[in-house]
Amino acid sequence: MRFNEKELVSLSRQPSEKAAELGMRGPKKGDVVKKRLVKLVVNFLFYFRTDEEEPIGALLLEQCRVEKEDSQTFSIAFLDEAEKKYLFECDSEEQCGEWIDCIIKASYEFMRKNLIFYRTEIHRLTGKDPLEQYGISDETRFQVSNGLQLMTRDTSSL
Amino acid sequence: MKLHEKILMHYLSCTSPVDKEGYLYKKKERTATYHRRWFVLKANLLFYQERPADRHLLGVIVLEGCSVRRSESDGQFAFSLVFEGPGLRTYRFSAGDYQTLESWLKALLSASHCYLSSLLTDLQRQYEEAKQQQRSGELHHSSSVGTFKQSQFFLPVQGSSAVVREGRSLSTGPVLNAPLGSSKVVTKKSPKLWHRRNAHVTPLNGPAPLYGEWPLVGFDPLEEFSKLHDYYGQEVKRTREEWLRSRQAEEERSGGDLINLG
Repeated sequence: MRFNEKELVSLSRQPSEKAAELGMRGPKKGDVVKKRLVKLVVNFLFYFRTDEEEPIGALLLEQCRVEKEDSQTFSIAFLDEAEKKYLFECDSEEQCGEWIDCIIKASYEFMRKNLIFYRTEIHRLTGKDPLEQYGISDETRFQVSNGLQLMTRDTSSL
Repeated sequence: MKLHEKILMHYLSCTSPVDKEGYLYKKKERTATYHRRWFVLKANLLFYQERPADRHLLGVIVLEGCSVRRSESDGQFAFSLVFEGPGLRTYRFSAGDYQTLESWLKALLSASHCYLSSLLTDLQRQYEEAKQQQRSGELHHSSSVGTFKQSQFFLPVQGSSAVVREGRSLSTGPVLNAPLGSSKVVTKKSPKLWHRRNAHVTPLNGPAPLYGEWPLVGFDPLEEFSKLHDYYGQEVKRTREEWLRSRQAEEERSGGDLINLG
């Protein structure tokens, strides 16, 4: 599948509040912990070899489960494969907690849900739709009933 | 760089909403040919394939760091996604008609994570203000127990950095008569975020937890939003006029919602 690689690499170079060297382990059997510069930009988690300009990879932080594994380690599981987890070792419990928090809140879907919540609440409290002033009140992505939409596509053969 | 495609494909196929889909003509890079492709916009990702029923995805465009522009030099219903930066490309498209063009422009303009993030920050502020007003309104009444719920009380924003610049509103700027026909119209750079400390996001249920930092990508909200609002100014003006007209009729009714949020 083609993707805008140069542009994504450029995105990975943007300043980020959440960037740190963590011990990272892949989900496959036999994967070992490696020191990586892990960087959160929008809803992507980029990981670099230390001192390299271009990231090794990018993980989209949607439909994933972030969990605390032990006091300083958290994991991310994708594709509903709960056993296949990426592991991240932090330097402290505090750092670990912050990463978990940030990753969850970086998800576009998480943000969308919160936006819909605020929209509904502001309307309830003030009688006004806050999106009207921006002319986006009819955009599909901000609709209150959005979360109930079912869109399934079979991509199993890909 | 490895993009873990399976994760993207899984996200595409899951039950979260599709924000827009439809046919568009996509220009092949470095040639004059356009190919008709089926596009699916979900969050800040624009997927494309040959046909809607196809299982094979041709590609995806991550919509961060690009501006959405009409490019009339390419055609009447042409637009492009321009990624700013050395060596970065421009994706060129053509919609079949004006409605399709307008609909896609609107959808793409509000697609980026950065956009959603700044919108969310603004709504959060409005929510806090609305709650404040509700509380101060309640305090003027005699002590009635029911309505004032401590559990809904927001944690005050800590830290000294000016998260929300008071006195600057993100409301629509003056309505410019800039029809879509003009050549350099709809430009929107992916907005950058201003620095936030201890931002709060309320989950759907429960009290607001302390919030982590949003990722920092440089941003001037006023510059980008004013451009956005210039574009939408026409529609907003129309909407407001309609609303004002219908308001008179609405005043008779009690408790009727002017806006149906579904």
